[in-house]
Amino acid sequence: MSDVSLLRHDDAARAPAPEPEREDRLRAADRLRVAKARASGGRARLLWLLCGPGLLVMLGENDGPSMVSYATTGATYGVGFFAPFILLTFAMAFVVQEMTVRLGVATHRGHAQLIFQRFGPFWGYFAMADLVIGNLLTLVTEFIAIQAGGLYFGCPPWASVGMGALVVFASLAFRRYAAWERALMALALGNLLFVPAALFAHPDGAALARALATWGPLPPTMGGAFLTLVLANVGATVTPWMVFFQQSAVVDKGLTRADLPQGRLDTALGAIVAAIAAIATLVAASPLFSAHADVSQFASGADFATALQPLIGKAGASLFALGIVEAGLLAAMTIAASSSYAFAEVASARHSLNLDFRSGKLFFAVAIMSTLIAGGVVLIPGAPLLAMTLTVNVIATLLMAPALLLLLLLANDREIMGGLANSRLDNLAGGVIVIAISVIGALYGVITVFPDWLGK
Amino acid sequence: MDPTADLSALEPGQLSADTRKPLPRRKLSRGVVALLVLLRIYVLIAVPLVVYAFVHALGGS
Repeated sequence: MSDVSLLRHDDAARAPAPEPEREDRLRAADRLRVAKARASGGRARLLWLLCGPGLLVMLGENDGPSMVSYATTGATYGVGFFAPFILLTFAMAFVVQEMTVRLGVATHRGHAQLIFQRFGPFWGYFAMADLVIGNLLTLVTEFIAIQAGGLYFGCPPWASVGMGALVVFASLAFRRYAAWERALMALALGNLLFVPAALFAHPDGAALARALATWGPLPPTMGGAFLTLVLANVGATVTPWMVFFQQSAVVDKGLTRADLPQGRLDTALGAIVAAIAAIATLVAASPLFSAHADVSQFASGADFATALQPLIGKAGASLFALGIVEAGLLAAMTIAASSSYAFAEVASARHSLNLDFRSGKLFFAVAIMSTLIAGGVVLIPGAPLLAMTLTVNVIATLLMAPALLLLLLLANDREIMGGLANSRLDNLAGGVIVIAISVIGALYGVITVFPDWLGK
Repeated sequence: MDPTADLSALEPGQLSADTRKPLPRRKLSRGVVALLVLLRIYVLIAVPLVVYAFVHALGGS
């Protein structure tokens, strides 16, 4: 039996639908393309059709604040320990996100929807509120990145923030998941702007290879500042919105159990490309370490670009600033979508990027309103942007523990997962990582609230 | 949009009408209930910390 015929089943078993819904028709058209590619044996074509959620979630998490974290790390400690550490954090992110792919293909339901239905309203509303509030504040930080990157090129804040918001709205106007995803994937390529920026820093390839192999040289002192950067780098790689976004995107894309290998490969590719961009950012900022520059007062990516200009040249610094704009823009689009999915799923409203505006009023309204609010806040003179940035870190890290534990419980729920439930090995790897990230997240949250707790 | 798209390309659970049907609540074991209670306590501690962090940061900015 061909794969195409495997996808077909007895129509009589279904409840009769008078008029096929737009969302279903669009998803079915995508699935037919996948079935044909699978039947023709074209592996590359199949991977191309099925990749997307994993790449977008990993590159989306390389957002404005994350790139500033990597740049701060490179400027403070150079390449040594942190290059392999970043690889490790993305390996951890892969293990976490792979569970969301399995949940999506096994249940065809979003993460917020599953939490609400399987654990009840308390955890459903908590997960949704935590995510939507955290995402709104994170969106503010993305627009700060867009504004800061724009300022480097002499673009006034209203223009860069306005253009950023327009790009987010334009992507929603596709009203088509596949088109939205491909547009974002094209934009996500911009994350690799940090690679040529790093090359302008004339990195020592042998030293980088040695660092990756030996985790050294270690910083001379490993006090509170070092630990804070370790925790910030973990916080820059695994956050709650990623869990919600990827599962919802997998469902919206229409992935099935047969697509699981490609879904995993998509996630692994995303982790690898995002790790390359993150390490490139570390390397690009490392000349500031050699120059003993004080970056403690740097507030945005633009400060790094300005400080790097005499060290890596105007072209390198411009690529760095452009990369910061791209990082903020891509994250704004994925995070706004993540809020829309979670809110609409918990509110039992329609939730898909394949909906028309009338059917998906609430879904699109959440993304549009959160973008307008976040962009507007950035433009308010004297708005407490620093307070919001700090609070984002606290929310994302302190509330990582509930998000990951609920993820682990769902991935072990055999009633809904069947044969795709976590194996013992999955639970060992996932459990260790979830516990590690939860403890690290809680610790980072506490350190952010009480910065003197660990000393200097 | 392809008006002739064949819905049979979708798995039964993938139809939007099917995904709107709620799943039953999970029957929780004692261990899971205990874990969720601990998680609620954690949340009760974490949320005031978040509020404190914001108010404290507001004062500093």
